[in-house]
Amino acid sequence: MAVLRRTARAYGAMMAMVPKLFMAYQIWVWMQFIVQIISLVILVSFWSAVYAGESSLSGLTLAQTLNYIILAQIFAPSTDTNMVFELGYMVRSGQIGMRLIQPLDLQLALYVQKVSEIALAFVFNLPLALIGWLLFRYHVPADPLVWLAFLVSLLIGNALLFCFDWILACASFYSTEVWGMGMLRYGVALFFSGALVPLAMMPGWLRTISTILPFSQALYTPVSLLSGITPLSGMPRIWLAQLAALVALGALSRFTFSRAVRQVTVQGG
Amino acid sequence: MSVIQTENLTKIFRVPQKDAGVRGAVKALFQPRYKDVTAVDGVTFSVEKGEVVGYIGLNGAGKSTTIKMLTGILVPSSGQVRVLGRDPHRERVANARQIGVVFGQRTQLWWDLALIESLNTIAKIYEMDPQRYDQLLEQFVDLLDLKDLLKVPVRNMSLGQKMRAELAATLIHEPEVVYLDEPTIGLDLIVKERMRAFIKQQNRETGTTVVLTTHDLGDIEELCQRVIIIDEGKLIYDGPLSAIKERFGKYRQITFEMARDLDGVDLPAGAEIVTQDGRSLVLRFDRTQTTASRVAAAVMEQFNVVDFSLAEPDLSMIVKQIYQGALHPEAV
Repeated sequence: MAVLRRTARAYGAMMAMVPKLFMAYQIWVWMQFIVQIISLVILVSFWSAVYAGESSLSGLTLAQTLNYIILAQIFAPSTDTNMVFELGYMVRSGQIGMRLIQPLDLQLALYVQKVSEIALAFVFNLPLALIGWLLFRYHVPADPLVWLAFLVSLLIGNALLFCFDWILACASFYSTEVWGMGMLRYGVALFFSGALVPLAMMPGWLRTISTILPFSQALYTPVSLLSGITPLSGMPRIWLAQLAALVALGALSRFTFSRAVRQVTVQGG
Repeated sequence: MSVIQTENLTKIFRVPQKDAGVRGAVKALFQPRYKDVTAVDGVTFSVEKGEVVGYIGLNGAGKSTTIKMLTGILVPSSGQVRVLGRDPHRERVANARQIGVVFGQRTQLWWDLALIESLNTIAKIYEMDPQRYDQLLEQFVDLLDLKDLLKVPVRNMSLGQKMRAELAATLIHEPEVVYLDEPTIGLDLIVKERMRAFIKQQNRETGTTVVLTTHDLGDIEELCQRVIIIDEGKLIYDGPLSAIKERFGKYRQITFEMARDLDGVDLPAGAEIVTQDGRSLVLRFDRTQTTASRVAAAVMEQFNVVDFSLAEPDLSMIVKQIYQGALHPEAV
């Protein structure tokens, strides 16, 4: 028990560094807020134009779609792990050496930092949620069970996406030129996570691809529950699928890292 | 049991080879070429508890690569390494808990945060007892003069301030083994003195084992009883500092400035040319075989000497001789 407490304290310390580092860049915090408001207005206008003269598309009304889109924008940071860029930078600059001399499991330490970053991003999105509500009056469920189910699905989905991104990021141990892969991952995630389009509107084959890829697990799956697209009764089956994916990707990411870290080259000084 | 043990430790890097120009870049894209570079070549040594060992060599000799294998960052290509009985790479986290590392050109501190934030976090990730941490923090603040720096973000510190902070961060969790990779690089004399005194005190009071790589031989003379010299990845000397001083200290060096260019010079037995460049001639002589006056007289008989100076052997001169091959079998 004491060991567990000490370990929690150690990784907790890494989590606690995130808000301190975040606050060090105050201008960026404000810029990000402005960009998000603009994005929200553009997306709402776009979908309103798409629905012109139509009462529903792919079984979703305009109100349902807007509800989903606004909530997806609020919880979109769940898909931004940035692992390919961050690990790539560490390996390329040699800073990976300073992380490997810490008495921490690197993957777990970076995961808890990411969870902290996402939680912080959600907090900073609260004004966005408020402005979105004032402007567009979206609906959120009143049932605490739905919120609990959403939170569980979000946590599992984000963890499995982190493992997927970790596997991609391990490529940086073999090639320092992973910037292109990071950009590709960002673009693919933006579309397949459901941040811009509800997956329910996609043609069957595209929806299948989206479901197989892990990006939607960190955003569409939990937010569709919150916005009422997926009923609460469907969650146990979804959780099971998410957990299975998490176990598989978790094991694969551990194995990949254990092999990749042997390739570290930190030459000079 | 030794704290550090290496046996035939070898590290080979695979370095990409690219020709110049656009053609070279295109060629490298379709037909990448690599060259194996042996950075550390069959190095064997051991370090006992409480020793302060200087690990020295020229740039690119393999010093930092060895340190990185000892810390568990790099995996050896072949050979064995054990630190406190562990394989540093396989048991990286357990090894990291008992070591401290300063890489002079990198930082373990959080650049944008006040120093105290970094130290508090380090205490937590090393699972320190809070009371012991407070006690050591007070002591380190005093010894390294950190009082005015605790609330300063690391990026706003001078190099000397940053290195003092780095040293505190490295030793605050009371590691059993400390690797200092060029810790005094770029520092002024006063900061160097303070850092050396601190390292010496930590070693004396806590029995911390220290492996120090440096180009500053003042660090070596001040801190180390033993030196390991590495050249082109190979270990060329491992022994007491006093032994190489004694062995090479019998040589003295005389530098002559001539009125005209030299073509050849006859020297008495025991004297030899170190360098000869235009009108400048540097000789060394074995003082057990001849004397400075005899060597100077011999040169002055043959040339019109404008100026000359006699240098007593110091560590830098000795190490220079060793780097120039004085330890190679044919040179002995």
